Amino acid sequence: MAAKTGSSRVAIPSFGGKGKLWIGLLVALMAAGIAAWGYQLTTGLIATGMRNVFSWGLYIMMFVLFVGLSAGGLIISSAPKFFHSHRYEGFARLGVLVSLACIIVAGLLILPDIGRPGRIYQFFTSPDFRSPMVWDFGIVLLYGLLNLWYLWLLTRRDLAARGSALALGFKDTEAGRERDRTLMFWTAAVALPTAVALHSVTGWIFATQVGRGDWFSPLVAPVFIAKALVSGLGLLLVVSVLADRYTNFEVDREELTSLGKILGIFLAFHVVYLLAAERLPHAWADHFEFWAIMSNFLIGDSVYFWLWTVVGGAVPLAMLALPPLRKRVSVIFTASVLAVVGTMFEGIRLVFTGYEVANIDSAPGISLGGEYTGITTDIWATAGAYTPTLVEIAVTLGIIAFGAFIVTLGLKYVPIQRVDAEPSYATDGGKQDQ
Amino acid sequence: MTKHGLVIDQERCIGCQACAVSCKQENNVPMGQFWNRVLTEGGEKMDTPSGGYPEDGGSGSLDMQYQPTACQHCENAPCVKVCPVNATYTRDDGIVEIDYDKCIGCRYCMAACPYNARVFNWDEPEHMPEEGTGDVEARPQGVVEKCTFCSHRVDEGLDPACVVNCPADARIFGDLDDESSTVSKYIDKYETDQLLEDRGTDPNTYYISGEMSPGRPQTSDKMESELDDVSPWSDGDDDVPSKEADSAGGESSGSSHSVEGGEIPYATPAKSGGDD
Repeated sequence: MAAKTGSSRVAIPSFGGKGKLWIGLLVALMAAGIAAWGYQLTTGLIATGMRNVFSWGLYIMMFVLFVGLSAGGLIISSAPKFFHSHRYEGFARLGVLVSLACIIVAGLLILPDIGRPGRIYQFFTSPDFRSPMVWDFGIVLLYGLLNLWYLWLLTRRDLAARGSALALGFKDTEAGRERDRTLMFWTAAVALPTAVALHSVTGWIFATQVGRGDWFSPLVAPVFIAKALVSGLGLLLVVSVLADRYTNFEVDREELTSLGKILGIFLAFHVVYLLAAERLPHAWADHFEFWAIMSNFLIGDSVYFWLWTVVGGAVPLAMLALPPLRKRVSVIFTASVLAVVGTMFEGIRLVFTGYEVANIDSAPGISLGGEYTGITTDIWATAGAYTPTLVEIAVTLGIIAFGAFIVTLGLKYVPIQRVDAEPSYATDGGKQDQ
Repeated sequence: MTKHGLVIDQERCIGCQACAVSCKQENNVPMGQFWNRVLTEGGEKMDTPSGGYPEDGGSGSLDMQYQPTACQHCENAPCVKVCPVNATYTRDDGIVEIDYDKCIGCRYCMAACPYNARVFNWDEPEHMPEEGTGDVEARPQGVVEKCTFCSHRVDEGLDPACVVNCPADARIFGDLDDESSTVSKYIDKYETDQLLEDRGTDPNTYYISGEMSPGRPQTSDKMESELDDVSPWSDGDDDVPSKEADSAGGESSGSSHSVEGGEIPYATPAKSGGDD
């Protein structure tokens, strides 16, 4: 297949040595993940670091992260379309591809967390519509399908022009392209509220719970929206810089710098403003002296807090705010990586705040249901602690590798970039720059 | 309607763990798990008080109380509301129960329960002896389980195992919707609390502290409502039991407590509140 046909091109015409090495690495990680999951299925979730006192762990933490990561691409590609703008057109297809991969990763991360995955059909046969998990199940499914449809819609005429079977029989006609543009607008119109619903509902899984400390806060859903914007855009920038470097995908520098600035704004809103809004009332109500209020307001209590706010907040924010730095691709890349990593620690912290303190912590405490290595010597614990096991890490990495594999395949088989001067909105009568 | 509830008299409780052990035995609870735990409110460790010893200038403020804790069978049960597949549900008689065939093991209910009353079978459940104990079928690996108020006993007109086996008569089981039941009367008469009342879960388990109640009113393992006469407790002074023994069943019949007079027949006279 030729690398360039008409006005679109795929990012990876064929895999070279490095490409094969990359695929090999991903396949190895996936194989290790499947093996680890198989082991976990036979031994039970005892193979994880979770116990009765800390009953959700790495899988849920990463589920929260990847739901958030799936936001960026879809929003960056659908928001401009909704407003009939051509901005960030260069990121549109890659964005939806990354979103699709992330929501698949998020959905798959739930499977190893389930005690009896074979019973998951109960979601269809016996759902309780009071459960936020049922809402989330529905919206994750819908969001995944929406991404798949959107990616195909964005590319099907180009696929047809290239003679790809993925066009599923659609023809590349002028009238068809015109109709697809209308469909894209309406898809964008559906995608935006669906994205908002996805992150809110995922937040409400936690925010509705009265028994887990800070989870029970009306701010959780808006915070989930904000962190989806930060981490989702961050990941899109990371992937696009990497794709620019290692594949034929080309990033428009101007758009990249512009998105970097937007990431800075998202970071400021999320890590500075929302966090402050969340912390101030408690710090004020619980303390009397001015400095006691201020220190409780400003100073966090766990290492995850600092990893999130400084490494994942203040540092990338400064990088993206300083004029001499913020135009450099390396700076944008690093800041984006830090924003994603920071959001990961925010999710980890959220789960920890729910489990590390038991509401009723009198001795002997809560029976653990299994050995709790390094925490207690008997079956009791009065407080939660958690360290993921190698099994959990292997399964998680395997699923993330699958996500990376999807993106890689997308770069290979889907025309990820239009190369005409006026991107897909123009009635492209075969204007060929290249 | 019936609404089963439990009253636990913390002034009567002696911390003997009989309820915890009989629960584990009756319900075939796997090794490493407890549905019912007797917590020590006081010092850092089990069976230790907080405060100082009253000698050598100590503060003399030793303080300790036992809090037996299992599923509270909440009216507004968060675990029921979060269960995505209706595996955890509230029965018509108020008991919160789990359908282990439906449970997918997502553990959302464990996150939802403020009392940490639920346990998960992380591996293949192990029983001692291997064939298991009690009258309840073992649950498989990968499901969440918890106290059922011994619904299998309640359905046959028997009190939960923890209630029958409490040597201090500190546990009283009954119908909260029946105003004449002992549980309703105790809740009315004594100072009772629900655990974590501020969370709005409205448990059907109540804890008496302060003044000691007369405790569980009969020695039969039957529920109050199943006894032929519930008289010592149902009313005032003149309501005296007509029979000495429980007429219904031979093996389970114990003699009803006869009432010497007064509405509190065998309250320990020595003590009214405070700590031992």
